[in-house]
Amino acid sequence: MSDRLERLATLVLPGFAILLLAVPACAADVKALLKDADRFRLTEESLRVETEAKVYKAGVLDKTRLYNVYVKPGRRSLVVFRSPSERGQKLLMLADDFWLVLPGSQRPLRITPLQKLLGDASTGDVASLAWSEDYDGTIEGEQLVEGIPCIKLDITGQRKGVSYPRIVLYLARDGHYPVQAELYVASDKLAKLATFKLGVEGGRRVVSTMILVDRLQKDRRTELNYLARTRKTLPDEYYNPAFLVRADIEN
Amino acid sequence: MNRAAFFVAVLAAAPAAVADDPVADLSYKTRLVAEHHDLRGDSVFAPGLPLTGFGRDRGRLEQEVRGRLGPASLLLTGTVFSQEGQTPAARLLANEAYVDFRAGENHFTIGKKILSGDVAFGFRPIDVIQRELRLQVLPPALEGVPNLTWERFTKDTAWSVVLANPGHGQRGDPKRDGSLTVRHYRRSGGTDVHAVARISDRYRLETGAALSAVPDESLELHASFLVQRRGERLTPLAEPATTSALLDPDRAFGVTSLNTPRKALAGFTWTWESGWSVIGETWWDGTAPTAADWQTLAAQARRRNALLGLPGVPAAAVAGSLAASTRLFQAPGVSRRTALAHLGWTDPAGGGWTASLDILRTLEDGGWTATAAVGWEADRVRFDAGMRRFGGKPDSVYRLLPERGILFAGVSLAF
Repeated sequence: MSDRLERLATLVLPGFAILLLAVPACAADVKALLKDADRFRLTEESLRVETEAKVYKAGVLDKTRLYNVYVKPGRRSLVVFRSPSERGQKLLMLADDFWLVLPGSQRPLRITPLQKLLGDASTGDVASLAWSEDYDGTIEGEQLVEGIPCIKLDITGQRKGVSYPRIVLYLARDGHYPVQAELYVASDKLAKLATFKLGVEGGRRVVSTMILVDRLQKDRRTELNYLARTRKTLPDEYYNPAFLVRADIEN
Repeated sequence: MNRAAFFVAVLAAAPAAVADDPVADLSYKTRLVAEHHDLRGDSVFAPGLPLTGFGRDRGRLEQEVRGRLGPASLLLTGTVFSQEGQTPAARLLANEAYVDFRAGENHFTIGKKILSGDVAFGFRPIDVIQRELRLQVLPPALEGVPNLTWERFTKDTAWSVVLANPGHGQRGDPKRDGSLTVRHYRRSGGTDVHAVARISDRYRLETGAALSAVPDESLELHASFLVQRRGERLTPLAEPATTSALLDPDRAFGVTSLNTPRKALAGFTWTWESGWSVIGETWWDGTAPTAADWQTLAAQARRRNALLGLPGVPAAAVAGSLAASTRLFQAPGVSRRTALAHLGWTDPAGGGWTASLDILRTLEDGGWTATAAVGWEADRVRFDAGMRRFGGKPDSVYRLLPERGILFAGVSLAF
């Protein structure tokens, strides 16, 4: 009898313990968690983010690219390419719609969501700084990631234009800052593994670097360094595709 | 307004532009391009080809400066151009030099600026101001159009009024004609709608519209349409042609006036996650030479060849008229009905590799071009290389073209 009780306890108690741990997390709303996590990248509703992308191949620095990203609520992002080799390019994201201006032609070119994922450092990774507007999902429990107790979220894109239709996201249990993200493409293949490094900017903790390890080509790694965030609200017309060829912002 | 006065006006407008612009924010690119042109030995134009650029290898070294100097946006190029059999030539060009500025809700542009339009890849019916030549191999930077522009934007719409080449009437190149254009853009749901109306001495009123939509994460659809009140078509010497007319290079081709010609295009882009994409387009160009025009050109070339060696017919006259007749190949469009398939690949892992294969068919006469190209881009260096072949049924435009193909390569360094 005591053996039976012991066996039952062995089976039931860990499950009960997991349940106890999971209850607080489940109680938290996924959207609220995502909003908390977003604040570590998107420190203001509207801002300009200077971003440096360093692409490594087999551990050796292959390319460095510079971008200025202008973000505004309503899922609006404007990416201005600043590297000498990409000078004159701009990418506009308005919810699920995307336009690209190439310096050779100077006209806004409508592109598909999949096209924005192509390139050195996918401009989708550079331009997307928030999850809460695009994703919803479930809390899958808790897990230790790099020694940090994390809430594991399995979130799926609520719109067709998202860069990754599914993300398994790990947020620190204390503070809800992003620790790691598994990024899945439309075929549900794991495309990239993102890890986040925190720094301090203006007295608050922010994501200073996002490291993307390509899971399809494992020797490739991209570091997105958020060099500066400045509060900046561009007028609505700057997010009009026809405005992209104007030099009012920068070119 | 002459050119000097126009650029003085640009500089005068500069201080009115945004005050917090940096003094200089420029980037530089050096580019070397080489082309090997393979002459078609059995061309009916062969005796005249030494007087043309066909079959001559060529190269160019370009230095490009792009960016801002104070409030002015600049694209300057210096090019050393060399062609087999000719002394190298150099040229400095301000491709763009303009100031964009605003006054309240109104936006203005003054200066020389690239003003491309339309939504398509291979052919752009409503690109009525820039009139960009499409499907060139490793083309040089576009040259902008001197213009005064007023624009007004809302979140989803835009209106522009463009006075292009102010003070010009009709010039040799339609791009340099003076014109007044009204452009409208509207974002309607997920669809981009563009409309244009342009008035010029040459074409009188041109009106058109274009649409582009992305109904699926992989698929983009586009269409474009233009009707001109008056059009022009390059045509060979009118038949019946006398021997003296055949030998007159000034009459080797002519310009035929057209009443309300139309241009239309429909196409799509399909993109895969793996980095592959396909563009399919088909178009109608009512201002392009017809299949019958190319057959006439070929028949006249044979008749000119038959005159060689006849008493009283100087060989130079035959060569000169044959050479002049090849100007028909420089028409902005060479076929009324055309289809294009473009297969492209971009390394999805960001390795910098690209590859493409273009097949273009002239549907009226059975001609074709095939272009294969590869590119690789590192941090600051880019390499491009490829080949283009021309062919088709006898007397089709691309079978008549006096070249079999082009090998091309380019390298650029950005800094």
